[in-house]
Amino acid sequence: MGMTWITRLAAGARVPVFIAMGDGAPAAALTLSRHPGLSVVDTPRAASILLVAGQMPDALIPYLHRLHDQLPHPRATLLWQSPPIPSLPDAIAVDADDDIGRAVADVFAAVLEGKRASAPDILPDAPPSEWRGVGPHGQGGKGMMGGTPYGRPMAMTDDDIRDRLALDSYTAAFGPFLPFFPPGLVLTLTLQGDVIQKVVVTHPPFDHDGSPLATLLNLLGLPALATRSLGDRADDPVLRRLIQLSGARFAIPSGLGRLPDGSDVRTRFDRMTGAAPDAASQDAGDTTLEHLLVGLEWHAAMLVLCSLDPATLRDICKNSDTGDQDETQGESESEMHAGHMS
Amino acid sequence: MTLLTVLGMLVFLCTSVWLAVALDTACRGWISGQGADRADGPLRTAALWLTQQRLTTEAPDRMNALLSIAGYMALALTGLALVPLGPDTALIALPTSVVLWGACEALVVVVVFLHGWSPNAPLAMIGAYRYVAIGLPIMLLSMFVLIAAALPAQSLDLRDIVTSQADVWNLIRQPLGLPLFLLLGLSLTLRGPFDYADSADLAGGTSVEASGPDRLGWQIARLAMLTEFSAMAATVFLGGYLGPVLPGPLWIALKTLLVMTLVIGLSHLAARMPVSRMMSLIWMILLPLSFADLIWAGLVAL
Repeated sequence: MGMTWITRLAAGARVPVFIAMGDGAPAAALTLSRHPGLSVVDTPRAASILLVAGQMPDALIPYLHRLHDQLPHPRATLLWQSPPIPSLPDAIAVDADDDIGRAVADVFAAVLEGKRASAPDILPDAPPSEWRGVGPHGQGGKGMMGGTPYGRPMAMTDDDIRDRLALDSYTAAFGPFLPFFPPGLVLTLTLQGDVIQKVVVTHPPFDHDGSPLATLLNLLGLPALATRSLGDRADDPVLRRLIQLSGARFAIPSGLGRLPDGSDVRTRFDRMTGAAPDAASQDAGDTTLEHLLVGLEWHAAMLVLCSLDPATLRDICKNSDTGDQDETQGESESEMHAGHMS
Repeated sequence: MTLLTVLGMLVFLCTSVWLAVALDTACRGWISGQGADRADGPLRTAALWLTQQRLTTEAPDRMNALLSIAGYMALALTGLALVPLGPDTALIALPTSVVLWGACEALVVVVVFLHGWSPNAPLAMIGAYRYVAIGLPIMLLSMFVLIAAALPAQSLDLRDIVTSQADVWNLIRQPLGLPLFLLLGLSLTLRGPFDYADSADLAGGTSVEASGPDRLGWQIARLAMLTEFSAMAATVFLGGYLGPVLPGPLWIALKTLLVMTLVIGLSHLAARMPVSRMMSLIWMILLPLSFADLIWAGLVAL
């Protein structure tokens, strides 16, 4: 089939790439948003190329499968410094030395032109657990309230820890591929509205430096400054001035996410921007994610999570509830929540 | 004549949507230090979205998803049709056009909510609720500002509001008006510091599950709303079509682009704060300021 004019036009677009960070991902993966030919997107639904950077541990492979199937056709997967993944036989391997931009552009062109078949779904296009006909009304569970319609637990009213207004609480796994989440981290969160009620660490973050300043700037709605912060210049006076001008510091509530060493998100942000001297390291003490996140609204909670340096976050995750004692938090349940990127 | 005006407005809308994307990319390129993008970049991305598959979640509300995109677009077009192009020329010529515009603006909250509701997914849903929480007080604020702007004209007709600015623009007469009104613009178009619906901390919020043509439709509707808002701000605060030498429609077009540039610049340079902090800021500082604006306008009108 020849290319239509519209496909030809589309083939010249910046290639939308979704990056799935694995263990030991190449450092260049963090600065890919600066690549002129690529556009690193926030959601797999907007991507044409899935770029698996680094090694994906077995525990996260099911998540990768669900992520893969969320890319719209035509699509393709590249494994960048990643060992082969048996369930992704068509994925193209890219070595450390290869020009990743070139490799992505070539595959993108081939898929659009139809020279390369779009990658088929890995998972069956069916409800994650059989629910049809189950229960007295065939709704997949017991009763009209509660039960498990569509094979997943229904949100039910529960006491709210903040204002005692009993709303529907909702539990789902978030991560490991949310673009602002520290690579590897999977949290099973119970939410009421967007207020976090309960945190369980389902998978700890990798030993990976990340780019905390860029992530925080992105969370503060400053994507262009985030890209600038990933540049080569170690001390960029324009970046500093623009961050000051943006009111980013004022946007962060004071006292948010305070650690035993006295630092909060704002002081940690100041250290990253160079507005405050760098401390030797953050001290997690016996802080848990529960301490830090429970009771916070989503945006504030994400600011806290991304303000922690990777080593501190790993310590905090070790202190936190990992769901081992809780029988309901097994692999089977996270399998049931086939929600967004979870 | 009317047909010609409709055609003219549609051409202007398309041009300004294009210009908005170009300004957005230029702004991003300048701030990120990467320089300008290719001029045809946006068109190519649009083509790519058109060729991509329309993926849905397991149990989406398809009808409301389409309704939200179409509704957002329709609200932008209705608002644009209210903008006076000359003393007697407005596609929708109403003695109460400010009220109709206020209704359109309030309905934006509903369509954005529907857009977040319809994919049946957690992050989109959070975006939808957050938008409503911020949308309500910001609408309140804009109503005070609009009533203040209508006071000197002693009319709720946008045409009268423009003619009342023959001597001095509302921008100067009511210095608090336009800055407060711009905040509404950021909220109506889901941008920068007021983007509580489609923000990065929700990986795209109400748009997180949108792919292909749906994504394209929503983005175009957002840009159409940006054009519409800018035209309205130019009409209410910058004297609309009034101006020397050049014909009226050209003046309103130029002023619209000026406001649009301001909104785009703000959306790239101002940080977004968590919802509860913004809520305090709106209720405790911005709303009192809009009261002050109204009282000021009232005293001047006396």
